[in-house]
Amino acid sequence: MNRLLPAWVGLLPLGILLLVWQVAVPAASPNFPPPLAWWHALVAMARAGVLVPAVFETLWTFLAGLVIAIVAGFGLGILIGTVRQVRDWSTLILEFMRALPPPVVVPIAVLMMGFAPAMKLTVIAITAAWPILLNTVAGVQAVPPLLSDVGRSMHMPWHVRVWRIVVPATVPALLVGVRVAVALAIVITLLIEIFTSLPGIGVLMVQGQRNYNSAQVFGLLGLVGVLAYMLTIVFALIEGVVLSRWPPRVAHR
Amino acid sequence: MTGRQWASGVGGLLVCLAVWQVLVGSGLIEYDLLPSPWTIAAGLSTLVVEPAFAVELGHTLAATLLGWLVAVLAGTGLGALLGTSPRARRYCLASIEVLRPLPAVAFVPVALLLFGFSLQMELLVIVAPALWPALVNTMEGFAGVPQRLTDVAATFHLSAGTRLWRVYLPAAAPAVLVGMRLSLSLALVMAVVAEMVGNPEGLGYALVREQQALHPDLMFGYVLVIGVAGMVLNGLLLLASRFALPGLFRRPVARWDSA
Repeated sequence: MNRLLPAWVGLLPLGILLLVWQVAVPAASPNFPPPLAWWHALVAMARAGVLVPAVFETLWTFLAGLVIAIVAGFGLGILIGTVRQVRDWSTLILEFMRALPPPVVVPIAVLMMGFAPAMKLTVIAITAAWPILLNTVAGVQAVPPLLSDVGRSMHMPWHVRVWRIVVPATVPALLVGVRVAVALAIVITLLIEIFTSLPGIGVLMVQGQRNYNSAQVFGLLGLVGVLAYMLTIVFALIEGVVLSRWPPRVAHR
Repeated sequence: MTGRQWASGVGGLLVCLAVWQVLVGSGLIEYDLLPSPWTIAAGLSTLVVEPAFAVELGHTLAATLLGWLVAVLAGTGLGALLGTSPRARRYCLASIEVLRPLPAVAFVPVALLLFGFSLQMELLVIVAPALWPALVNTMEGFAGVPQRLTDVAATFHLSAGTRLWRVYLPAAAPAVLVGMRLSLSLALVMAVVAEMVGNPEGLGYALVREQQALHPDLMFGYVLVIGVAGMVLNGLLLLASRFALPGLFRRPVARWDSA
């Protein structure tokens, strides 16, 4: 826990920076509006009734895409990890897909699926599934041979062995993958919104930028930062709770 | 990988491409926007000989490398400072933990506001996220230098420069290199992103341009080029670090990290 929440004094540099910014920069600065102006811009957007729906839309898209990615990535990862033929035949395809930068999926999906809500979820699911899939495959291969031997000597059928032995032993690796996927899914969600102008926080940022409303842009940047930090913390807490009750296998990178 | 694994890996790739080719090429799947692999290959071959392509590739690579250089210089410098001083860590770590998850794409509107459509805009979008892997890995590498080594340095009253060059850097080099590699792949990704939604130049813009012009073969061609560019950059850096530090790089350290 100490690693996750470092000493509060560590927030001093950030606090001092914001304070100096607030004091030293005139309130009407066109390019670097002070933090209080960010707050006023956020309040104004909330009063106009555009902020809350946008935040919900972004969070919902992120969460739905992430859940699909976890289910698909973990399922495929277990399949690829446990069946050697599948693993051998898919190695090169997986290697190439891994080398591809996730953002290039966005224009491909827009071309194929148009500006549909399903497109958003597909892109997030596809890009966020990769770290989960790769970590799951690695996790399956790291299952202690003793465990698999137990399953075999007890003549468990294939599906029981996977469900009772492989899946539980792979959960810590899955969590590592999800941690990466969370960060990636936030980025891709915002990128889609900025790229396609489908509703969400990203669109508000683009609008603010086009109207030269710098306080709105900085305010939303701050809001996105707070949201992303909270999601990271929430996920770290979930990870900590799950791992503390997990069988005595330690998470491995 | 064994020879057999290589063979089936290549086999799997070929089977996939063949199925794709047959389905699309024979008209079983009638879909204008999904070209067959053969069409993509043809598009790619016309693409790479165009003079404009070299300019686009050059622009993206230049932005990537420039942004990476800035991020690595600042990141390793700050990381070394934080790694060697527990007090600095105590007073800065929480700020870093708060700033680090900030999604890099969110810098695009800010960068556009400050710099317009320009290379500076791209650099801000590249440096802001690419800084963290270099900083955090360097910090952890420096902080993890065994106490025995730092004690020896203190006993011999080594100067700060000698200590850095002879004690800290050799011990922390693998971690620093991991950070540099993560930064580099992130820098390329962010350059493409910045060009997709910001500065209309380079490979990222070309990708979007072909998408909007409904040229799926050229768009997939650019996707391939971007993927290969990432692999080549990563390979070159790996090669350079093996060459520079032959002894230290026997165990490759892998760490996933992301924007």
